[in-house]
Amino acid sequence: MAIRVNPKIIDDLAVYGAEDVQLCYHCGNCSAVCPHADEFNVFPRKPMRNLQMGLEKKLERSLEPWLCYYCGQCSEQCPRGAEPGETMMSLRRWLTSRYDVTGLSRLFYRSWKAEMIAILVLALLTGVAFFLFGMLRGDIHVYSGPGAFLPSSAVHLFDWSMAGVLAALLFVNSLHMWRLVFGSKDGPKPNLFMYLKHLPQLPWHFLTQNRFRTCQERNGLWLIHLLLVASYLTMLVLIMFFLPTMQSGPEIRWTVHTFGYAASIGLIGATIFMLHGRLKKTRTQFQHSHKSDWLFLIMLVYVALTGVLQHIAHRAGFPVAANLVYIMHMMGVVPMLVLEVPFSKWSHLAYRPLAMYLAAVQRDALLGRSSQGGEILAPRRIA
Amino acid sequence: MRSGIFFCQVEENNRLNINAVAKYAANLPSVEVVREMGIHPRLDAKDLAKQIQADNLQRIVIAGDMPGYFKPVFAKAMALAGHDPLEVRLASFREHGASAAPTLERAKAIVACAVFGVPFALAVMPAETTVHQTTLIIGGGIAGIQAALEIADAGKPVCLVERFGTIGGHMAMFDKTFPTLDCAACILTPKMVSILQHEMIRLLTNSEVIAVSGSPGSYRVQIKCRARLVDVEACVACNMCSEICPVEVPSEFDAGIARRKAIYIPFPQAVPNAYLVDREHCLYVQSAGKKCGACAKKCPKECINLDQKDDFIEMEVGNIIIATGYDVLSAEDIKQYGYGMFPNVLTALEFERLTNASGPTGGKIVTKSLRLNKRSKKEEWVFDPHGEAPKNVAIIHCVGSRDQNFNSYCSRVCCMYSLKFAHLVKEKLPDANCYEFYIDMRAFGKGYEEFFERIRQEGTFVIRGRSATVSQENEKMVVTGEDIIRDKLIQFPVDMVLLAVGLIPARGTEELSRMLGLTRDEDGWFSELDYNGNPTDTERGCVFVAGMCQSPKDIPDAVAQASAVAAGVLRSISSGRGIGHRGSVTLSDIEARAKSLQAK
Repeated sequence: MAIRVNPKIIDDLAVYGAEDVQLCYHCGNCSAVCPHADEFNVFPRKPMRNLQMGLEKKLERSLEPWLCYYCGQCSEQCPRGAEPGETMMSLRRWLTSRYDVTGLSRLFYRSWKAEMIAILVLALLTGVAFFLFGMLRGDIHVYSGPGAFLPSSAVHLFDWSMAGVLAALLFVNSLHMWRLVFGSKDGPKPNLFMYLKHLPQLPWHFLTQNRFRTCQERNGLWLIHLLLVASYLTMLVLIMFFLPTMQSGPEIRWTVHTFGYAASIGLIGATIFMLHGRLKKTRTQFQHSHKSDWLFLIMLVYVALTGVLQHIAHRAGFPVAANLVYIMHMMGVVPMLVLEVPFSKWSHLAYRPLAMYLAAVQRDALLGRSSQGGEILAPRRIA
Repeated sequence: MRSGIFFCQVEENNRLNINAVAKYAANLPSVEVVREMGIHPRLDAKDLAKQIQADNLQRIVIAGDMPGYFKPVFAKAMALAGHDPLEVRLASFREHGASAAPTLERAKAIVACAVFGVPFALAVMPAETTVHQTTLIIGGGIAGIQAALEIADAGKPVCLVERFGTIGGHMAMFDKTFPTLDCAACILTPKMVSILQHEMIRLLTNSEVIAVSGSPGSYRVQIKCRARLVDVEACVACNMCSEICPVEVPSEFDAGIARRKAIYIPFPQAVPNAYLVDREHCLYVQSAGKKCGACAKKCPKECINLDQKDDFIEMEVGNIIIATGYDVLSAEDIKQYGYGMFPNVLTALEFERLTNASGPTGGKIVTKSLRLNKRSKKEEWVFDPHGEAPKNVAIIHCVGSRDQNFNSYCSRVCCMYSLKFAHLVKEKLPDANCYEFYIDMRAFGKGYEEFFERIRQEGTFVIRGRSATVSQENEKMVVTGEDIIRDKLIQFPVDMVLLAVGLIPARGTEELSRMLGLTRDEDGWFSELDYNGNPTDTERGCVFVAGMCQSPKDIPDAVAQASAVAAGVLRSISSGRGIGHRGSVTLSDIEARAKSLQAK
């Protein structure tokens, strides 16, 4: 099969953050030191090679960038300063824009101005819509119960519809990812059994990020990341299922509020840790920050803080302030979710576990093929 | 001719004020236009052609650190403007050493020479001086020995100063040389003996140059001869003193894998063949004569004088040759290979001694065994001739070389000596598996590629990909790496790991460079005058560099350079005219000379 070469891909990827790929001289140090590289996925060196050679199609269907959790060991030991870890990070951004069928992701990653404009427009639209809705239907002096400015049932409905749209977009993009990975004619063809066998990997990796744990030993951030994910999931469950309970009445309901407080602390704490790290460049992972990383963290911290503020205003008995902060909170939530979940950094919540799953399926499919290639020179990996 | 000077830099240089050079250049004859294009300018031939036409320039001078980089675009612009594209001249700061001492003056002179159209080297002719006959050679390794013999054989006096107790340097430690697999000692020791016996050579071992003054052609040199505490003439190397000495320390000559006494001879063929006392460890010296002194009582020749004092010699020399060689990068700093943590991870020099017939195991390749040290009551890993032979040996190239975290340069000899190690392992242990992990195989010399091929045919597994880590699993050392050509990650147990550790300038290089006013490059090696045209002279008059101290090189290259240096020294002695410091030539001298050369 003819292979199409795109010599410009290496320049293209510089926009996504990988600027030093050209320096790599292929000593293989990074792959050897990587705790996640294995027989079937030799990275980061191979993706770097593919980048240097412009093998766009190969990169497009590779899962390797998602198998990397960026512990930074490869970049630290790289003799050339080619930043293999950052290259994998940039490849994840690039892949996200590839998976996205709308093309918006590509636009946002390449131009932070476009992303800013989109955020502002969405924020304004949300703000105006909620304000008008509140003014028409309710009383700004009432926060919860009958006649509320923003009745929780309405917000709840809005949340569910938004979640539906976002999930649909993410699902379509994930389907596109699957097609890219297994769509090529000469690639491995897994059968249904293989798909079913590894299905438990999806929730497993989604909930535990177990692979990230291996990086923890090597200067990793697994615990912080897990805290962030757990807080985020708790918040999601609370908002999607218990929103009316959370917002009603002046009294604190410990059944939901304990979780809410814990999740808020987790979200704010982890986000501030990341922000501080990126500002001070405390770790290898934080040495290079793409504009999209900053936007994501700033929005996350904004949303968490306004959420807390809204809660305080409500409990302290300032319904007007609570309602206004609520609108401000929604002005952060809507753009953040709409932009980040299907099109930008946050989409990795779906792509990562999916990639682990697909990689397991792919491995089975490859093992099923007759073994090919030259004789094994050195003893293989020991147990 | 109307000339235009364009300043185009490739890299930022804080030490050079381009603006000052540009102002100076504007006053040179025939210069009409001076433009500063900045760092890494994006030049367009069409735009340049318009400028050239507007200013009606018939000649272009490109000045900068690497002006050749911009030559094509200027030549094209000249052609587009309808002028002669050959009238583009280069004023290269880097090539002519404007990074050396008086940077600004040098840069001005370089531009002036380019404008006058005179080769810089011709215009910068230092005043010639009379030359003292004696030559001082600092460093008694193979390069120093070779240069000393060449000069002495031509009948001129030489003083060879060596810091260690014997001459021979690193080459004396080696077992075989690549790619011919000749016995290193068989080549070196006759030369060492000739040094001692040569009537024109004064050999000062255990000595160091401490001060240099004077001018090219007649340097006054102060040499500190550290007390050897043993009479070199009388000592017959009977070893009785060493037997009785109670102090044991790691042997420098054996790269630390064996132990020696405080009174010792570095190796049996040492030149001079006499014992010496390590005063830092001698009980008698350290206790100021209160303790021990056993060796002096035991010596049948009564040639040990433990109260001997250091001697200071002053002498006048005409030329100085620096042949100070190299040291090996500290392998402990490179954590990933576990050197110092796992007993059987060895540096190249350690293996060199292990496999050498004069080494601690008599040349048997064995892994270390655990022995109880009776004195400290602790168990230690030592080489024992009856130790177990390794079954799997991994050799890792480029340890600390070509690595921006350590040395960014290639140490040049490691690929070849690693291949030699593979051969030695296969030769002595035919059943052992040998794995070479390399990044790029730099087999650049005569017969080197063939040697590589031979090693492969001997059954060594040559793996492209630098091994990343050495770790321990179930009391076995495990190397991990990527086999890039076969596209596989590999991990397997080994019994011995040899690290081809990178080379660095010898200890004391910085001191010496300060003493002599020599420049060094960013990696610390001595700077030669001109890498291509004059690789043996330095900025300082009548001071030469030979061997490793200029840059990493193998034995044939070091010997060749040493002989070349000898030719330079002999030229100055036989013509009676030495060349002064390049730095002493003033800008007005260069201008005047360039003008007179242009007139011719």
